[in-house]
Amino acid sequence: MIDRRLITNFDWTLLGSTLLLTSLGVLNLYSASYSFSSGSTPVFLKQVYYILMGLTAILGILQIDYKKLERYAYWIYGFSVLLLVAVLVVGKTGGGARRWIGIGGLTYQPSELMKLSLILALAKYFHNRNNIGGYQLRELGIPFLLVGVPTILIMKQPDLGTALILLSLFVTIVFFARVRLKSLIIAGVLAAGSAPVLWHFMKDYQKKRLLTFLNPEFDALGSGYHIIQSKIAVGSGKVLGKGFLSGTQSQLQFLPEHHTDFIFSVLAEEWGFMGSMVVVLGFLFLVLWGASISKECKDKFGTLLSFGIVAMIAWHFLINIGMVVGLLPVVGVPLPFFSYGGSFVITVMMGIGLLLNIRMRRFM
Amino acid sequence: MKKPKEKWIRFRITTILVFFCLLAFVVAGRAFQLQVLKRDQLCKLAERQYKNKIPLVPKRGTIYSKGYEELAVTVEVDSVYAEPDEIEDPKFAAKRLAPILSVSRKKLEDHFSSSKSFVWLARKVSPSLIERVKSLDIQGIGFVKENRRFYPNAELASHVVGFSGIDGSGLGGIELAQDAQIKGKVEFVRAERDALGKRTLPKDFGFEDSLTGNSIVLTIDKTIQYTAEKELANAVKKSGAKGGTAIVMDPKTGEVLAMANYPQFNPNDLSSSPQIALKNKAIVDTYEPGSTFKVFLLAAALEEGVVKPGDKFNCENGSMEFAGKVIHDTHKHGTLTVREIMKVSSNIGSVKIAAKLGKERYHDYLTSFGFGSPTGIELKGEGSGILRSMKTWSKLELANISFGQGVSVTPLQLATAFSAIANGGYLMKPYLIKDILDKDGKVIKRNQPQIVKKIISGETASKVTEMLRDAVAEGGTGTAAALAGYDVAGKTGTSQKVSGGRGYAGNKHVASFIGFVPARSPELVVLVAIDEPEGIQYGGVVAAPAFKAIAESSLRYLNTPDKNGGEIPAGEAMKVAKAE
Repeated sequence: MIDRRLITNFDWTLLGSTLLLTSLGVLNLYSASYSFSSGSTPVFLKQVYYILMGLTAILGILQIDYKKLERYAYWIYGFSVLLLVAVLVVGKTGGGARRWIGIGGLTYQPSELMKLSLILALAKYFHNRNNIGGYQLRELGIPFLLVGVPTILIMKQPDLGTALILLSLFVTIVFFARVRLKSLIIAGVLAAGSAPVLWHFMKDYQKKRLLTFLNPEFDALGSGYHIIQSKIAVGSGKVLGKGFLSGTQSQLQFLPEHHTDFIFSVLAEEWGFMGSMVVVLGFLFLVLWGASISKECKDKFGTLLSFGIVAMIAWHFLINIGMVVGLLPVVGVPLPFFSYGGSFVITVMMGIGLLLNIRMRRFM
Repeated sequence: MKKPKEKWIRFRITTILVFFCLLAFVVAGRAFQLQVLKRDQLCKLAERQYKNKIPLVPKRGTIYSKGYEELAVTVEVDSVYAEPDEIEDPKFAAKRLAPILSVSRKKLEDHFSSSKSFVWLARKVSPSLIERVKSLDIQGIGFVKENRRFYPNAELASHVVGFSGIDGSGLGGIELAQDAQIKGKVEFVRAERDALGKRTLPKDFGFEDSLTGNSIVLTIDKTIQYTAEKELANAVKKSGAKGGTAIVMDPKTGEVLAMANYPQFNPNDLSSSPQIALKNKAIVDTYEPGSTFKVFLLAAALEEGVVKPGDKFNCENGSMEFAGKVIHDTHKHGTLTVREIMKVSSNIGSVKIAAKLGKERYHDYLTSFGFGSPTGIELKGEGSGILRSMKTWSKLELANISFGQGVSVTPLQLATAFSAIANGGYLMKPYLIKDILDKDGKVIKRNQPQIVKKIISGETASKVTEMLRDAVAEGGTGTAAALAGYDVAGKTGTSQKVSGGRGYAGNKHVASFIGFVPARSPELVVLVAIDEPEGIQYGGVVAAPAFKAIAESSLRYLNTPDKNGGEIPAGEAMKVAKAE
């Protein structure tokens, strides 16, 4: 049933590096959740279940030729938008935001699926068009709509981090699909001009985050707390780190959300600069390797899709770590392979699955 | 057709990848800045957050007697505390606990509903109370072991041992003077503290073993101390006196074998003792030594060859005008030899000897005997007595000092000076601490006898000794101090107390006796001073019997051969030991 060529061309390097990073992530999560025991199942064990679900998803995705996905891209996109609407209507609230929907006993975060759906939809859109000279801004109406609708829906939840990711993906893919330089400049000017408008629409806590990013000590016990604590945790890891399970800042819970968005600070504290660099290099390798898949891909849809996924991983990685080391404001962007969270793990795994899928069908 | 398109894709992929790599480089650079360049600064910030210095008070060392009997120990006792947020039903808990803790229900209820996370309910209480609280099994009530200082022998040697406060610091006696040794080094444990402020102690931290102060072995002999205290108390009570002091010293070494004061106090229960009882009179109080002081005049005069034991002095029939004042003797005497002057304790004879000696030499000798300066015993608050500068001595003052007036001494100074007569002329530094032991019982410091000075020759010392034997023999002032089986060398003293500022307080006296036994090879110097006895106030009557009792049982206890060379049968010695 399965073509032998698929197996010969299977990208073991990609799967191997994925599993390696994932294992590091589980180990780190074990340490991060070592000192507090909430509920019956330990956090790291739950993460292992999610990873197993993600690996199953990869297996599933590998069965379908990614070219077939092109046909269903808009349908998938539409389904995702519907789910986002559903979140706003019947979604579950947690931590002041309505981001989840319940399926049975489980909860799912549809904005995660939206990341992949947007890539699929944009890939399909640009695949169908052939514009050698590059796009002008007014030709990008539909792509703007494709990204605009989910971004607004997600901002409503509110989830600034995911919205930011969608916008970053959009910009990357549009640039990749070739936009005229003039249009690029106009878009930049427009974006800058829309900033005050955006500011107006931002929630108070989001404004506060941006403000405290500019001066964390201004509100040290409030919204600046994250940034300061994160910097302390990272910095106190020094060059070689405090050792596995020995981070004081994270183990003693000075650092909130250290098993989700701030997981990198745990790693940086316990493994030091060396550990941090290993992870950074790991991600860079993954991104470069993924880009080579995109480069080798013969059809435009696959090229766009694979590059979109690579961009998704890259942006998550850059924004997350940038936030942890205090270069970027605190926005809820998780770190692939390291942050805890079922929906996100499955999204990343599906992305890897698609990359594997594209890679192994590169000669077909 | 395909070629240019592929080129474009490659170019764009590379552009974006370069952009990503650039960002990654920025992030890595930032990590380098935080983790390498600013590492120490951020590390300090981290430590300040999670580390918390907690002083760990070590367990106090033990104070032992010479024979290793425990005089002060630290025991673990329980304390009860409450964690108010853990208590489900404050009303119920208060109702059940109030009768046991003998605290009002209202107060407990207030404690239990307070927002505090920790409240002491009862500290250092009895095991039975703890059992009763435990049996209630109320959630939120906890127990903790605390160290408490306990003095197993209560009053025994309490003035030497001293006492300590609830926080474990020494407040008196050796407990205070050697606090640094006994307390041990307070160590600071860096406890970790989480974001909620909860402290967690390091897991591998051993409180019991590593943190114990040093122990002190005293020179105090428990049996002799007990005897001294008992006989002193008898003498004080019998004479209706205000108080008294007794010191037993080993003249050969300067070791203080007993230091007793009356009234006593119980260091386990300070609140029931009057403040005055806490004072260690033996080293703090000064008094005019009276006739006991004549011994040092005699020693000086003999040593300088000013007089010989057989030299005769006219004692003026008990009354002599001198420098505008009249000096009296208790009994009328005509001509007396030096020996007799000492035996009957003639003031007039002493004045004449002192005049022959001269104030310079006399003052030098008194200084050499240690008067006017503290002995340096290992206790705080030692008095130095008064020995005025020789330059200011008038003729009359010299005369007064010759029979022990116009000078003041502490009992310990006197006993120390007297030891120099007993041991053949060496002034020894008195000491109370024999050994200092570390927490494992290993001796880390052993005190050796210290000779301060050689004052008089052995020959002079034995001449003085012979005369002091006379004082106790038939016809002397101290006959009540005579022992069967042992020769006693000693001297009585009766002095008027100085009241307030100037002048003497008519009827207030200090009656004392100081002596050593056996006279020819002294084992013990014993001093007994009774403060303000009623009725008969002579040292020979009030203090000498106590001297006798202390000396007698101590010699027996020490199995000292008597003058016939025999030893006390073992059974007898046992009886004495058992009597306590």
